[in-house]
Amino acid sequence: MTGMAPVIDTARLRLRAPRLKDFGPYAAYYASPRAVWEDGPLDMARAWKEFASGAGLWSLRGYGSLSIEDRATGAYLGETGIYHPAHYLEPELGWMVVAEAEGRGIAREAAIAARDWAYRVRGLPPLLNYIDPRNLRSIRLAERLGARHDPAAPVPEGEGPCIVMRHPGPEEIAA
Amino acid sequence: MNRFPTLSTRRLHLRAPQARDLDAYAAFYADADASGWYGGPLRRDEAWRQLAQEVGHWHLRGFGVWTLVRKDDGRVIGATGLHHPEGWPRHELTWWLVPHSRGAGYAAEASEAVIAFAINTLGWPAVETHILDGNIAAHRLARRLGGEVIAREAFPDGHERDVYRLATNETAGEAIGERPGEASTTQREGSA
Repeated sequence: MTGMAPVIDTARLRLRAPRLKDFGPYAAYYASPRAVWEDGPLDMARAWKEFASGAGLWSLRGYGSLSIEDRATGAYLGETGIYHPAHYLEPELGWMVVAEAEGRGIAREAAIAARDWAYRVRGLPPLLNYIDPRNLRSIRLAERLGARHDPAAPVPEGEGPCIVMRHPGPEEIAA
Repeated sequence: MNRFPTLSTRRLHLRAPQARDLDAYAAFYADADASGWYGGPLRRDEAWRQLAQEVGHWHLRGFGVWTLVRKDDGRVIGATGLHHPEGWPRHELTWWLVPHSRGAGYAAEASEAVIAFAINTLGWPAVETHILDGNIAAHRLARRLGGEVIAREAFPDGHERDVYRLATNETAGEAIGERPGEASTTQREGSA
């Protein structure tokens, strides 16, 4: 039922269901110090759990992770999507990009496409990010996507230090 | 196109994991003794991630573990299937049962259907499993399934395990599916 995951094209990117061959660069990212704010670094077995559970979400919830592919070269650039493990109180908009894709606005372009799909096709309410307050890079990107700190939103149990960034909803984006 | 085939045995339906299997996953992974061989014990939210990972395995690999559903009362009693995380050196037949369903031959019954599926439908030349030394119940089941130890290897987690070959396409015909009432049937939902 991978067919439930859409293929979404943007100016430079294609978002599509995760495939086995994406796991190499995905695991390399999670093994690197760059994953320190994503519960990393993770060994390959833990990275597989993350990768496969994101893919499995599509059957369980009707949304999930999407691999980011460079439309020009087909290269794997990272992952975005809507994450919702059992202990999350709401669906989360997430993203990560491999080192080669840094600094080019790839995460932003991909996250906007995933967010808009979630609103338009799945009718999800305004999405949020759970972010470690020390992860300034991710907080800045959330802000560039129009998200604002939502101090009233509850935080999932057992997530460690975490703030909630609330994204604009579908009406706000359209306005 | 449904990529999740179902299997049927004398007493069990085997189907892909679904969200409503969480109670069974949580019950198994709360049992520290048994789930300790499978990375447990796990909290309920961690058991959910395990369930999601098993579903994702089907998406990514085209095979995975099935949920075992009793035909007589519809209860979910465990899981059996084929597991192969990327980066792990070998595939394995794997199984677990919730505590109240052990000792009744369900794991063997489901395993025979899964082995037959791997060989007859997936076209695998052989089905293997690998087991930590202390997991006595699993070693016993592997031998009951006709398993022979073909290797002893160190795995990426630093532990050595016996590797069993459970059946090959030469032996599957005699070992599996020829006992009356235990033959497994395989069907795919919709067109494959």
